[in-house]
Amino acid sequence: MASTPLLITLATTLIGAGLIAYVFRNLGYNVLLGGVLGGVAGALGTLFFMLPVNFCMFAPDPEARYTIELADQIFGLIMIVLGLLMTLWPLRWWAIWWSRRNDPQYATQQVQQGLFKSRFLPFVFLAPTLIILALFLYYPSLDTFRLSTLLARLDSQRTAFVCVDNFTRLVNDTGYFGVVGTTLMISLAIVAIGLVLSLLIATMAYQPLKGARIYRTLLIWPYAISPAVAGIIFLLLFNPTGGIMNYFLNGLFGIKIGWLNDPAAAPWAVIVASVWKSMGFNVLFYIAGLQNVPKDLQEAAAIDGANAIQRFRHVVIPLLSPITFFLVITNITYAFFDTFGTIDYLTGGGPVGSTTTLMYQVYELGIVNKDLGKAAAQSIILFAMVIGLTIVQFRTQGRRVNYGA
Amino acid sequence: MFAKRLIALVVLAALLLALVPVAAQSPVDVKMWIAFTDNRLDWAQQKAAYFNTVFPQYNVTVEGYANYEELFNATALASEQGALPAIVQYFEVASQNALDSGYFKPIADALGDRTEVNGLAVNLDDFIGPVAAYYTIDGKFNSMPWNASSAIMFSNMNILKAAGVDTPPATWADVEATCEMVMAMDGAPEFCFTWPNHGWFFEQWLAQQNAVYANNDNGRADRATEVAFNNAAGVALLTWLRDMKDKGYLYYSGAQGGDSWATVDQAFQSQQTAMAVYSSSDTAIYTDTGRQNGYEVVASFMPYNQDAEGGWTGNLIGGASLWLVDGLSTEVEDGALTWLTWLNNTENAAEWHQITGYLPIRLSSVDLLNTDGWYDAIAANGPSQVWMDLQIVQDAQGSNWFEGNPNFRVAADQLAGSQQTAATAGALLGNFPGIRNIVTQAIDTMLLTDGADAQAILDAAVAEANVTLEEYNALNAE
Repeated sequence: MASTPLLITLATTLIGAGLIAYVFRNLGYNVLLGGVLGGVAGALGTLFFMLPVNFCMFAPDPEARYTIELADQIFGLIMIVLGLLMTLWPLRWWAIWWSRRNDPQYATQQVQQGLFKSRFLPFVFLAPTLIILALFLYYPSLDTFRLSTLLARLDSQRTAFVCVDNFTRLVNDTGYFGVVGTTLMISLAIVAIGLVLSLLIATMAYQPLKGARIYRTLLIWPYAISPAVAGIIFLLLFNPTGGIMNYFLNGLFGIKIGWLNDPAAAPWAVIVASVWKSMGFNVLFYIAGLQNVPKDLQEAAAIDGANAIQRFRHVVIPLLSPITFFLVITNITYAFFDTFGTIDYLTGGGPVGSTTTLMYQVYELGIVNKDLGKAAAQSIILFAMVIGLTIVQFRTQGRRVNYGA
Repeated sequence: MFAKRLIALVVLAALLLALVPVAAQSPVDVKMWIAFTDNRLDWAQQKAAYFNTVFPQYNVTVEGYANYEELFNATALASEQGALPAIVQYFEVASQNALDSGYFKPIADALGDRTEVNGLAVNLDDFIGPVAAYYTIDGKFNSMPWNASSAIMFSNMNILKAAGVDTPPATWADVEATCEMVMAMDGAPEFCFTWPNHGWFFEQWLAQQNAVYANNDNGRADRATEVAFNNAAGVALLTWLRDMKDKGYLYYSGAQGGDSWATVDQAFQSQQTAMAVYSSSDTAIYTDTGRQNGYEVVASFMPYNQDAEGGWTGNLIGGASLWLVDGLSTEVEDGALTWLTWLNNTENAAEWHQITGYLPIRLSSVDLLNTDGWYDAIAANGPSQVWMDLQIVQDAQGSNWFEGNPNFRVAADQLAGSQQTAATAGALLGNFPGIRNIVTQAIDTMLLTDGADAQAILDAAVAEANVTLEEYNALNAE
């Protein structure tokens, strides 16, 4: 079966050829040219992901550490489809753009010419940024992909190739789904509680009070604190034996809550700390949003007999929805990726894993347990989630976010 | 214009003049990383400062990390970047990793045939039995022992005596009975007993019951390939801890590993708990804090399972040793060896014991402390400010150290009374630090989950640990 990779490449070449030939026919171009371009694109799309892993999920290797199961093959197919999308979709887009390039109906705005006379000068100016990005971002990201196919440990020079086992073993890992559930639960609570509280506080801070500016400035301070410091502050507050939180709870209600050693309570400690930490950011945006709510609409509603709560519910909240949407996206990103420091200092992922989020799990695997391969695979899954969120954010930004009246 | 040039020339000349002699005479830098940030770091830095005056050709600097785990990670990262110091302190369970990593050079190899470095006698035969046994393989020292301890128990005797208990309990059943009395009295503390959920204590309690942690005689006969702590001893321990928690006797902070120590310090030192199983490393602090705050602290053997076959078999040592980085230049390596030899001389080992509670690791140090002249001997050896400031040391001047401070002999007595078996030798195991996390998580689950079953939890932990051990061995074993 040594020819399986060849067959797969051949098949995707044909698929690519067929699809692009069809596009070219509809556009009235040369079908043969479309077929050739599509075929090349199809083959390249497959090889893009498959060459680095040498088609391992379709070509069993008795010498290797990995075994191939259905999940691996499905994963391989998904990779091939992704590769095809990455080459065929731009090709189709380019063909359509080419066909319309002289059509005034689709003419894009004339791009303003830059001021640089030399072609190279802009790159000279960009070089420092690009070099830093390449060294500290692009190269490590690419290396993460390489690591994710290896059994690699921080405490060993040697590595072993394991195909896509680091990904597919997660399918049967109930612990991983528990972590996903914890992450979603904590993130949902951070976003929901954070936004509701921020809106309430922003509404109050927006009232024309004496010293409102000072008050607003103070509200934004927590945002300037690093997540790790927030974690330490709340570690002191929530300390089960000596913390001020339990001191007050005990004095007022006679109860003591195991904020850090009760799996039911610990996520709330993380949520409270994280909400407090991101509050300033949210309040800032909501105050800006409130300043843009037109007074005349409010007055009109008041004249129509709407009371303050009704005006808030039916006038202000809908007008703030673009900002709310923007904040939902940024807060999800925050809850997923920026709560690490808070969790590390506050609970260390415990008790009983009740505050282990996906991000924290990557740290535990990679740094604490030194299992670089599995950590790389899980961070790639997180990376895919960021891409998903970013796409949602970009696609909706132009249409729905509307800061004006 | 001319004036400006002249000034520039003069400045340049001055700079060159300043640089040249420094470059010619600058002492050899010897960096050491240790896993302490408290008075133990102060001590090491004060010692290094004194050493640098005695040996001006060297400049020893000591940098502290928060705990063993963090230093272990920092070392792995530094080796990737080729930025290792000359000496790294590795905790005992990282010994297998240290041997496999290739970062280090065995002390014995670095010394070769030399019996002295820079005029200092090395004398590796002077180390006490348990320490020599732990840090040698086939009689060869891989690293320089430094801080060795054992797990012991501290009791707040004011609380115990108020409850009608005169001596600290010796077994698990005694602890439970004592706790019943403590918690029943008026003005009872919030909890009775606590311990840091650090993997080391699980290992101690397993060894006490003569149960091995891993196969191949705890990895001493041959490389360990499977762990075995889901045995009866492990189940008995988890069951007992859960029972103590259910009865409201046990305080468990939820902190694990390196984070767990501070939570126990806090509970014991604020007198919210009557007893704490802890490392003998902090005997000085625990004893001294009690004296300053008006309660008496008594150290005793770590309580054992009275139902185990053969009762108490023994305890193992813990702590860390100092590893010499491989590939250093001859000057740096000689400097590091000189520093290590001096740091471990008789007087320094005795001083180190007194300011912490770590075992006096030299036979000659034990002998010295058993004489009335120990104070003058240490004072003549460039003593640290930390030592001079310690009240219990000043108070013991002119008398036998151990007679006046019985808490300080508990760990050594416990080890001296231990039988030598595969279990009490301690495990030598790949990825041991990672496996410790799995164990503390299992205990965490046992204590905090409703209807937890000790056997099932340990079986799952063993399965998880075996996967990581197999992966570690696949990459590291020949």
